[in-house]
Amino acid sequence: MTNNISYQEAFASYEAVSERPLPEVNYEGLLEKYHPDYFKDACVQLKIGPNKGDICHIQLAEMLQADARIDEADLAGAQVIETDILIIGGGGAGCAAALTAAESGARVLIATKLRLGDSNTVMAEGGVQVSIEKDDTPQQHYDDTLRSADRPVDKELVAEMVMSAPDVIRWLIQQGMQFDLDEYGDLLTRKAGGTTAPRVVYFKDYTGLEMMRVLKEAVRSTEIEVLDYVPTVELLSDEDGHCTGAVLSSLEDNRYKLVKAKSVIIATGGIGRLHLNGFPTSNHFGATGDGLVLAYRLGAKLRDLDSFQYHPSGLAYPQHLSGTLITEGVRSAGAYLLNARGERFVDELLPRDKVAAAIMRECVEGRGVDAGNGIKGIWIDTPGLELNNPGIFNARFPKLIKIGKKSGIDPRTQPLLIYPTLHYQNGGVIIDKHGQTNIPGLYCVGEVSGGIHGRNRLMGNSLLEIISFGRRAGIHAAKYSPRKPFRKISIEHLSRLRRELMLADMPMDSKGPILFPAYAKFETDSDYSGLHKNKKSK
Amino acid sequence: MENVLNQVLLHKNNRVGADYSLWKNGWGGQGLKNAMEHPADIISNIKDAGLLGLGGSGFPTHIKWQAIADQTNTEKYLICNGNEDEPGTFKDRVLLEETPFQVIEGATIAALACGINNVVFYINPNLKTCHEVMQSALAKWLASEIHNNALQQGLNLKYTIVASSGHYIAGEETAAIESVEGKFPFPRGKEPRPTTSGVNGCPTLINNIETLCNVPHILRKGVQWYRDLGIGEANGTKIYSLSGDVLSPGVYELPMGTPLTELIFKYGQGMLVGKQLKAVFTGGPSNTILTEKDLDVNLDFKSVSERRSALGTGAMIVVSRGTGIVKRVAQYVDFFAAESCGQCPACKTGTYYMSQLLGEIDTGKGSKADLDSLVDLCNILPGGGRCHLLDGAVKVVDSSLYHFLDEYKEALSDDLN
Repeated sequence: MTNNISYQEAFASYEAVSERPLPEVNYEGLLEKYHPDYFKDACVQLKIGPNKGDICHIQLAEMLQADARIDEADLAGAQVIETDILIIGGGGAGCAAALTAAESGARVLIATKLRLGDSNTVMAEGGVQVSIEKDDTPQQHYDDTLRSADRPVDKELVAEMVMSAPDVIRWLIQQGMQFDLDEYGDLLTRKAGGTTAPRVVYFKDYTGLEMMRVLKEAVRSTEIEVLDYVPTVELLSDEDGHCTGAVLSSLEDNRYKLVKAKSVIIATGGIGRLHLNGFPTSNHFGATGDGLVLAYRLGAKLRDLDSFQYHPSGLAYPQHLSGTLITEGVRSAGAYLLNARGERFVDELLPRDKVAAAIMRECVEGRGVDAGNGIKGIWIDTPGLELNNPGIFNARFPKLIKIGKKSGIDPRTQPLLIYPTLHYQNGGVIIDKHGQTNIPGLYCVGEVSGGIHGRNRLMGNSLLEIISFGRRAGIHAAKYSPRKPFRKISIEHLSRLRRELMLADMPMDSKGPILFPAYAKFETDSDYSGLHKNKKSK
Repeated sequence: MENVLNQVLLHKNNRVGADYSLWKNGWGGQGLKNAMEHPADIISNIKDAGLLGLGGSGFPTHIKWQAIADQTNTEKYLICNGNEDEPGTFKDRVLLEETPFQVIEGATIAALACGINNVVFYINPNLKTCHEVMQSALAKWLASEIHNNALQQGLNLKYTIVASSGHYIAGEETAAIESVEGKFPFPRGKEPRPTTSGVNGCPTLINNIETLCNVPHILRKGVQWYRDLGIGEANGTKIYSLSGDVLSPGVYELPMGTPLTELIFKYGQGMLVGKQLKAVFTGGPSNTILTEKDLDVNLDFKSVSERRSALGTGAMIVVSRGTGIVKRVAQYVDFFAAESCGQCPACKTGTYYMSQLLGEIDTGKGSKADLDSLVDLCNILPGGGRCHLLDGAVKVVDSSLYHFLDEYKEALSDDLN
């Protein structure tokens, strides 16, 4: 590998200028050569389960093919809680589902691994896509989504999502969410990478945080029951293969609880904390892909397991903030990406996968910035943006200013060093337009589900997806659940899992879902020994 | 050693689904052909072969057949019982789905032997594929050369496929008769027995699907061949439904009398990883429990009954250590309480009361008095119902008390020391 240029040298030669033309860029073979999804040895074939034979990321495959954490004997004497609808996950999708389900008259219980609102929803900065501008249409939104997906998607889901977008925004505003407005009180929009029209509505650079604030308050002011600090370790099923509830493990009293439910909605989000391919992540602490593992074991089909989004602009320096997201909004407002020589090397508003791959190409080919300790990256030209739009950071990117303060770097005068960060799981559990999986009684919504984004998700489509499908799943589950009687609860499906593992001659020493990243050090913390171990004790 | 797995009923020659020509090119129709040549000898062949009722009773088949043959009525019925609804039993489903012509051929021979003119395939409505396959196979049968030959020789049978109500109780003989007559499957009082007065008052033979499937092969290969298939004193083969905490659950046709240990550890490939065998619920829950010390038992009706247990349908539900026996038994009794048709007071209240007591004990709320009541009920209840549902429920409780009384005592709330 060629040596990159040192941070000091690159910074010394940097200068804020207002105009920087884009030179001719060669995009041929860019993704294939530089995008981590295409790395050799990154993927393997699954050996067991409903997706047997499919290609899957190696780290995810290990989790999907891990042994379960519990056994029949663990459940003896466990407390049993009954509810109509159990929602696993307290992020945006889970809360949206809970609110509409409760509004439709169902008894709802939200079980969260950490606390209500601890989620990737709050990490989403850029905004929500909705075709509300005069020259824009849901059709264009649909076309943009399909084009950037770069792989067949479930068109029905995309159609439902884009058509519901205006209603989603209306509902969010009714819940009390704020958006940035123009002087007439109309929603301001900005353009996302890979789209044909300005379509992202936003609130400063913490749209997701604002969304979560509102949803959390809405949940707290209803009858919805919330259990915090109860990671779900297994789903429950009956002999007909229906999902009939879940097994929770309480971090507070170190016991298992059984929830008997007529429907279960999984809204556990993504997988960033697995640090696929060794990348840093923008994801929150709990994003360990639990929902995928739980659903897969019960027989739910998954899709696009080889495709993940690496957000182009994760902070690379200083190291302790590595992976922190710098919103695409900065680029869509006009900030350039520059290599160590101060040259532009990519159209900044291409879809994220291409921009990320282009950044990696610069660093591989010696035009990146080397900040020591293996830290590398390229500049995001924030001073140039400030030069062209004085005051824009104070007005629209307060969170970025704050990140700058934490880094000891003022983005208005000094460019930030960025490198792609593991951001989003493009695939997931296959669902229909109501969020239903192929397992009766089991719904999946939000990042844990798949089918909308193909190989590449557009900015602003994730916040839209979680609310759009969260609401739909909540309504559907509430409509069909309360009339049904409770079904039997068992973990018989684990025998099937163990049979498959043994017959496929797979190792059974790791257990899933992993619940927390390895560096959480629960292994050595005696409070959690037993309940939350990831490996069998030797 | 020769391969003894799936050598007759589940042989690939039979497992052709609704493909008539495949079946015909195998062994298809040879049993019926032999039977047609000497119809008067069929029953004595069945008797000499020692064929037993494989739906759970182990009752000698020829006795029923002879009783029907002795009736002089012009209308007689055969009900081929495929109601199969017991937890842990799934053999008839495989026979109906995969070997429909074997079922039809067996039924036809039975009808020929007993002078029956109405054949009813009585199948659980939840087994949708079975219905589809049987319908398709029956249509092909009626258009076949075999059927035409039979017609020409005066064997004019009316075949119908009837969906049972899907209740567990609908598999009981007299309940099946009620069901075929279009009524709710309430078991009838006996007498009269179905052999004298069954469907529409006519003599009615009721045989399990697996029993009937054996018939063509006895006629095809001869009595001695059939007797030699079994191990020890047992004859023929048996389809075992193996489930629970084993590595490879499934249906296994093996010589009648195959040791339990061989079924579990050879064919079932042993226990699931890290599990140890605790008990085996035999014959579906309406029967009894075998424990570790019974692993050597030969799985035939006689040998199993000598271990205070019963072979029943041949279902073997394996449970491992760590499984609460009281909880399992409570689940089974809940099943019986839910499936009791409710016409006999002893059954209606008895199963309910037992299920309540078991629930109390299982959840740690039971007292010594509750356990005593449970023991008393096991003595009082048997024989209190028209059919065997109540007896079945008592049997599983009684058997678990015999083998695992300590586990019941440990669960009691009062301090016994």
